[in-house]
Formats: sequence, C-alpha cells, structure tokens
Amino acid sequence: MNARYGMVIDLDRCTGCGSCMIACAAENNVPALPQATARTGITPVLVRKVSNGAEGSVRREAFIPIMCMHCEHDTPCVKVCPQQAVEVDKATGIVMQMPQRCLGCRYCMTACPYHARYFNWWDPAWPTGMEKSLNPGVAVRMRGVVEKCNLCHARLHAAKEKAAALGKHEIDAAEYVPACVEACPTNAIHFGNLADPNDPVSIESRSPEAFRLLAKLGTEPKLYYRSKESWVRALAEPISAHSSEVQHG
Amino acid sequence: MKVTRRDLLVWSAGAAAGLIVTPVPWKLLDDTSIWSQNWPWIPQPARVPVEMKQSSCTLCPNGCGLRVRMAAGWPVGVAGLSTHPVTRGALCPLGFAAHQLNWHPQRLRTVRHRGSNSSWSEAQRAFAKARAEGPIVIIDGYPGRAASSVLETFAQKQNGSYRVVEGPETRALKPYASWSGVPASALGYDLENAETVISFGAPMLDGWGAPGRFTRLWAERAAGRSDPQLRLIQIDSTLSRTAARSWQWISIRQGSESTLAAGLAAALLEQKLVPARGPIPAVSVDEAAMQTGMTADAIRELARTIVGRTPAVAIAADDNPSIAALNLLLGAVGTLGGIVRRSKDAVDHIAAGDAISSARAVLIDASVPWDFIHQTDAEVFRFAAWDGGSTKADWLLPVPGFLEELTDVPTAPALAVETYAVAPSLVKPASEVQSAAQFLATVEPSLIPAEKIIHTRCYNIFRALKGNVHGDEITPVAKFASAQKLEAQLWKGAVWVGEASPPGGIRCELKGWPAAPVLGAAENWSALWPAPVLPPLASKLYNESSLREAPDRRTV
Repeated sequence: MNARYGMVIDLDRCTGCGSCMIACAAENNVPALPQATARTGITPVLVRKVSNGAEGSVRREAFIPIMCMHCEHDTPCVKVCPQQAVEVDKATGIVMQMPQRCLGCRYCMTACPYHARYFNWWDPAWPTGMEKSLNPGVAVRMRGVVEKCNLCHARLHAAKEKAAALGKHEIDAAEYVPACVEACPTNAIHFGNLADPNDPVSIESRSPEAFRLLAKLGTEPKLYYRSKESWVRALAEPISAHSSEVQHG
Repeated sequence: MKVTRRDLLVWSAGAAAGLIVTPVPWKLLDDTSIWSQNWPWIPQPARVPVEMKQSSCTLCPNGCGLRVRMAAGWPVGVAGLSTHPVTRGALCPLGFAAHQLNWHPQRLRTVRHRGSNSSWSEAQRAFAKARAEGPIVIIDGYPGRAASSVLETFAQKQNGSYRVVEGPETRALKPYASWSGVPASALGYDLENAETVISFGAPMLDGWGAPGRFTRLWAERAAGRSDPQLRLIQIDSTLSRTAARSWQWISIRQGSESTLAAGLAAALLEQKLVPARGPIPAVSVDEAAMQTGMTADAIRELARTIVGRTPAVAIAADDNPSIAALNLLLGAVGTLGGIVRRSKDAVDHIAAGDAISSARAVLIDASVPWDFIHQTDAEVFRFAAWDGGSTKADWLLPVPGFLEELTDVPTAPALAVETYAVAPSLVKPASEVQSAAQFLATVEPSLIPAEKIIHTRCYNIFRALKGNVHGDEITPVAKFASAQKLEAQLWKGAVWVGEASPPGGIRCELKGWPAAPVLGAAENWSALWPAPVLPPLASKLYNESSLREAPDRRTV
C-alpha cells in the first residue's frame, strides 16, 4: 500500500527555538552564506512568529513552522513546472523536487501559496575544511535551482536500503524520521503515514483542533497544525489577514 | 538536381525551425544546467559509510547527550541522545550545527602573543617566569571537571587562587547557600516534582538549565492545557518567548521582580495562605502594586494561584535574595518539588573577583565566556578554541575544539540529582592545541593528568554502589561486575545518575527580609554561549529569520 507521509505540528508546544531550522539545514547541507538574508536564504523550514494582534498584557504570540505542505491535489508547483522537475511521488505522497531538471524559472515559487520554496542564488561554499562536516547522504545545494523541504528524502532512502538489506518490503517507521522532527525539543512535530488510519499522526490529523493552512484552496496539504487556541486556528485563513512578523521572498 | 545557395539557406532555416520541436535544445539546456551546477570547485560530500557515536556536548556546562554521525573520522551530523536521562534527546539550536565549529574561520590554531604569532615554548617560558615572580590566579568557567581539578591543584601548589565564573542558574542559588552554608553547586531545583513554577524572568523555555530538561517536562505536563499538571507562571516585563508559552504571563515593570516577590510574600501572609516562616517583608501589597504596575487584587489573586497547586517553587533569573526568601515562605526549600540538596560532597567555589587585580598572572580556561572582563595589570594567558575578537589577554593559546578532547561531564547547573558522563575525543585534534590542564601538566609534571582523574572518578562511582547507569538500558551500578565495565559504558556515551536526595538537608537561617539587589540585564542562552563564535548555520536564526536578534560581539 502506498504511504502518504505527513505531519501534525502542535503549535501549543512550539517555543520558536529554531532547532528545526538549524537541524534541517545541517542535514541537507544548506550552506550558511553571509550574504543570505531573510529574503534570499534557504530555509526549508522557517519558523514564523505570529500574534493575536493585541497589545499589552492581552497580547499573545505563537510560532508556526512553515515548510512545504506536500499538497496532494492539484499541487500548484507541479502544475506550473515547465521542466517536470517537481512531482508527487505516488509511493510516498512526498512532493519531490529534482534539482537536476530545474531550470530556475521560479514559476513554482510564484505558484506556491505557502511561500515555502526558495531560490538558490549562490554556489554553495564553506570555510576551508568545513566541507568535511557535510552530510554524505545528501548532495550540496546547487546554484540556480529552487529548493524546498523534501521530508529528508535521504533518510527515507537510507531506511529503504536498510529494510532491503534485511529482506523487508516495508521500512520500519522508526527508521525514517525527518531531521526537524528529531530535533524538536518539545516533540511538537509529529510525523507519520496519513494513509494508515491507525497511525497516531493520522488520528491526530482528524482531531477537531487540527487545521491546515489555506485549506479552502483545495490543494489537500499533508501538513497539519493543531492548537487549542482559537486565534491560532484562525490563522488557517490567508496569512496576510493576521499579524506576521517575518517577511521572506 | 542542382543545389543552389537559396536551397541551402532554406534547408538550414527549416532545420533550425524543426530543431525547436525536437528534445535536443531542451536537453542541451537541461544538461547545461547540470554542468553548471557541478563545477569542480564546488565541494561534494565524501561518499563514505557513516557510523554513529554517542557522547556529551562540552561547549557549555549543561553536558547534553549527543548522537554524532561520523564519516571518514569527522563528525557530519549531531542530534540529541534520547537515552540521556536529563536532556532526553534535546539540544540547544546551536548544538545541531556544533560539528561545524572546528572549521570556523576564527578557529585559533597557533599561539598568539599580543597579536603576533608565537609558540608554546615561548608561552611556557613566559608562564614559568610569571609563576616565579608572583601569585597566579586561575579562572574556570566549568567547575567540577577532571580538568578543573588539575587547575585547582596547580593553584593550591602555587599558593595561587582558583576562581570560577558561574552561570545565572548557579548564581540564583547563591542566597540559599549563604543562608544555609550548603554550597550553591550542591543545590538544585526539583522541577520534576513541582506543580507550579513561578519564573521571575528566568528564560525557562528558552535556554534555562540543560536544554530539554524543563522543555520536555513542560511539553508533557503543561503545553496546550487549560488546567495543566505543571503550571508555568512567567513574570516578565515583556512578552518573552517563555512568557508567550506560559500558562500565565504576569506583566510587571522592568526591575520590579524583587518588589513583587516581597508583595507576594505580604499577600500570602495577609491571607494566611502559608504559615509565617521567617521574616516579614517590609513592603505591603499596596506598595508592591504601586511599584510593579499590578493591582493589589491581582497580587493577592496571584498569591492564591501559587498556593493553589503545590509544590510550588519560584525561580529567579539571577542572584535575587527576595525571590529566595519567597521560596522560604512557600516552604519550597529542602522539600520535594523545591530547592533540594543534590550532593553532600560539593565544595564551594569563590567567584572570580578581587584576587585577579593583585595577581602576577591570570590563566583563563577556555570554558570561561570570551567577554569575561578582567580588570587587571597581570599578564593574562587566555585559552580558547576560537578567537572572539577584541581581548585584553596577552597570550591567546589554542585548545582542542568540539569533540577533540577527552573530558568528563559533571552535574549540570540546577539539576536535582548528581550525574556524571565522559566525553571521549572523537575527532583528531587540530595541530598544536593544548587545553589549560594539559599546559599546566607540562609546566608542573607532578600534576595528575585529567585522564587519570576520570578513571579514579569512575572507580569511585563503582565503589559507592549507588545510582544507575543510563545507556541503551538502565543498569544499577551494583550490577556492574567491575569498575572497568562501568567506565567502558560511560566512554560509550552512557550517563551515571545518582540517587535522589531525601527531603531536608538544607536549613536556611534568615533574620530579616533581604534588600532588593541591583539587577543587570537578563541573560539568555545566546549571550551565555561560551564559544566566542557561533556555528555558521546560526545564520538561520539571526540573519534569515526574525526569531532572534543577533547577540553582540559574536560572529555568526
């Protein structure tokens, strides 16, 4: 049976520490270029700070990690790519980005309603010797292509190889955990197979507290959020209608 | 048929037009993009097998458990160790990129003397001369290690002084130490059993204590619950990261924490919510309301909330006797869920201060924060792995970097139980580096090396037959067949955890309500990061998001 990998992020547990951002970048060999800014850096996971818009002692804030939502239906980036560099993997549900095919036209960035895609403006570079610290399972990020979260696909490959070596057809769920999920110090990010109705993440995604960003666009994102706070759940509607304190391109 | 020039032109134009509808130009375009993305000068990760090692982070005194992915002898990834009894798989954000620090452009690789390259032999000669001429002061930022023992022993042999620079969590325990005679390093917070935590500006969810310790407790027992098992009440003048996630945020005027603590004490006594233990605060509830910006009713309500779910413990951001006195009134000292004595053997250390000014030479260990200011005319020998820029040190001496040196990891600040771990050297150290303890061992060969002290400490744990070793499974010390087997487990990343102390063990004597201290700006984990530089990927936090403001004087 095909999987539908997805996440449920418990926003009531997110403290905005940024561990997921750094762990993701380290896992995926994202270079730390001094010229990168909030508009031009590659942050496959970007934690935004949002508020209820009030001031003073009634002000409330929350943190929302934004990444590729792995839309399932009419995936906007897939539809606009002239190079077929983006596709939804039927076996996993992961929206795959193939940098070798990408021409860097950035149509997908324009089409993505979540601003979860990033253009790689520069050749990857590290201070002398630091290339020894790169993750051997992942290629370096190429200049001139679009980047996004691929749910740590290299970890999925490693889990598949391990399963194959053991003569298994299915991977062990514990073997495939994206870096951001592993890094979260409050266990706010839950990852699992939405196709399995008994998977804890699948169950959690059906909770009344669960919601998806811009769900009314009908793209069926596989990234769910949950919160007990009604003002946080209201953020499911267009983000521009609410206070957001992070800008990026 | 004769081919004319016109025919040639027509065929060429036709071929050119036809080519567009074939895959050739698109394929060429595609290939060009691939070629241009794989220039030979672009680094590629080595395709080598990866092996997993376990250790502890030694960049700050919290000693988080690490799972380190190693490839070709180098660390290529760091993650938290889920079997670690304290951090339980958590790390601070910077820890995830700590393996890049050893190649930071500001890594110190040679001995430097007043801005010029020098050598270890010259540094040794200069230190030997200073040692012969006058007293030596040694400053340590991470006391309790085997290396600290080497530093302290040298200072004693030399009739010099050994001083420590403590973090805010330890400083916050100082009032209890001065009132009870128990060293602050022997005290901790029993947060695991607390049901209400009142934080006076302490960044409980943003780097207070060992990463993961309180955040995990909060996530399991508090996050998102309207009536949590663990109530986190954050008293802060601004909506800090902790305040944003707390059960209740109390907004007060900046700097009025001591007054609020006194006001709360007055409200507790006024409403007879607690028995009168110790001195009565001089501030009334109304006066506290005036100074903090709260209403008197809000202070009384807060007092009722605090005692509504006990054990309750107040946590100060730094050394603040008023907040410690509030804990005495709450009965949170020496009790379950409060301030507990975790060790009977800890010794009190003297904070770095006056002795420095009269010293002939000051030796500063690499564990001391880079911006530790020393007002002294003494010759300063500063050990560091990274050059943090402007310094008053005469000598900059390069030490082993991240995971480059064998060291031990004593109990982290503010823990309620004792722990001990060993962080073996996983990476070949950069050339010409020596830690302060290694340097002193070359100057004074009679010193016992740190490695031997670690060995003795492991043996002592084995001999005491107390506590458990937390590795892949939890094993009581009594079940180890030999000290060598226990030590081998610790070298593989396991952690020894001592037995929880019984309640009691601290008896504080306080005659009058303490005066409010003069507080500086609150510190957070990024300002306390002992390394003078940050991992390059910290740019994700500082340059590419608005999550945090970049700390001053640090290089990202």
